[in-house]
Amino acid sequence: MNRIQTKCFGEMSYSQKAVFEFPGGLPGFEDERMFAFLSQPAAHPLMFMQSLTRASVCFILLPILVADPNYELSLTPDDLEALHLPAGRQPEIGTEVLCAAMVCAGAENRPHPTVNLLAPVVLNLRERIGIQAILTLSGYSHRHALLALNSQPDLALCS
Amino acid sequence: MLIMRRRAGESFLIGGEIEVEVLEVSATRVKLGIVAPDAVQIQRKETQITRDENVSAASSVRRDRIFSLLEKVALGGSRRAVKTLTVVSPLTSEDT
Repeated sequence: MNRIQTKCFGEMSYSQKAVFEFPGGLPGFEDERMFAFLSQPAAHPLMFMQSLTRASVCFILLPILVADPNYELSLTPDDLEALHLPAGRQPEIGTEVLCAAMVCAGAENRPHPTVNLLAPVVLNLRERIGIQAILTLSGYSHRHALLALNSQPDLALCS
Repeated sequence: MLIMRRRAGESFLIGGEIEVEVLEVSATRVKLGIVAPDAVQIQRKETQITRDENVSAASSVRRDRIFSLLEKVALGGSRRAVKTLTVVSPLTSEDT
């Protein structure tokens, strides 16, 4: 097991299997290419995307289907190629790819946490490659309120 | 907002140094060619939105906020209060 300095939890050990390469970096973090994806039972279902090169760079992620159970991925041909996935169809979330939304946990001017459904983090689980896809035409919000998670009415009752 | 009608092959100028040419028009898309000085940054708007949101998300990560986040994402049932985060496990595909 390797050791890593994390932003929130001090030094942690991680498996090489938890490391994903982002060949294109992320918008705003173009120099960060290697991230460890860490989860902890006590923090379930949150995940932590910790840069291996800069301890101060860490993102909180929420599995996309937790953020929105009806979420539909619409990767472009370029996205599929970057992920080394077959063209012509969308990958299956959970088996082929892990798909998660970045959480903004709050800020001075934005007290309520939001998730970015417009630009999910998508990981090819087999090849351990990741991208942040931008689903331009999806209509998903980059600031989807997290508050809706618990207060969502049971839609089945309304139909 | 200035509205301008152009056909494929026509172009327009922004200031003296930026030229935008309409290269191709289809039912749902236009293909544009842009000539601008190196110092002018050109990017898709959604990339800029994503960049800003990534910066906000990264700077929002604080240990104390994780606990209040967990209260919001606790999915039904009773969740014991999280006092410490000490157990570490690498991500597995089950976490999806």
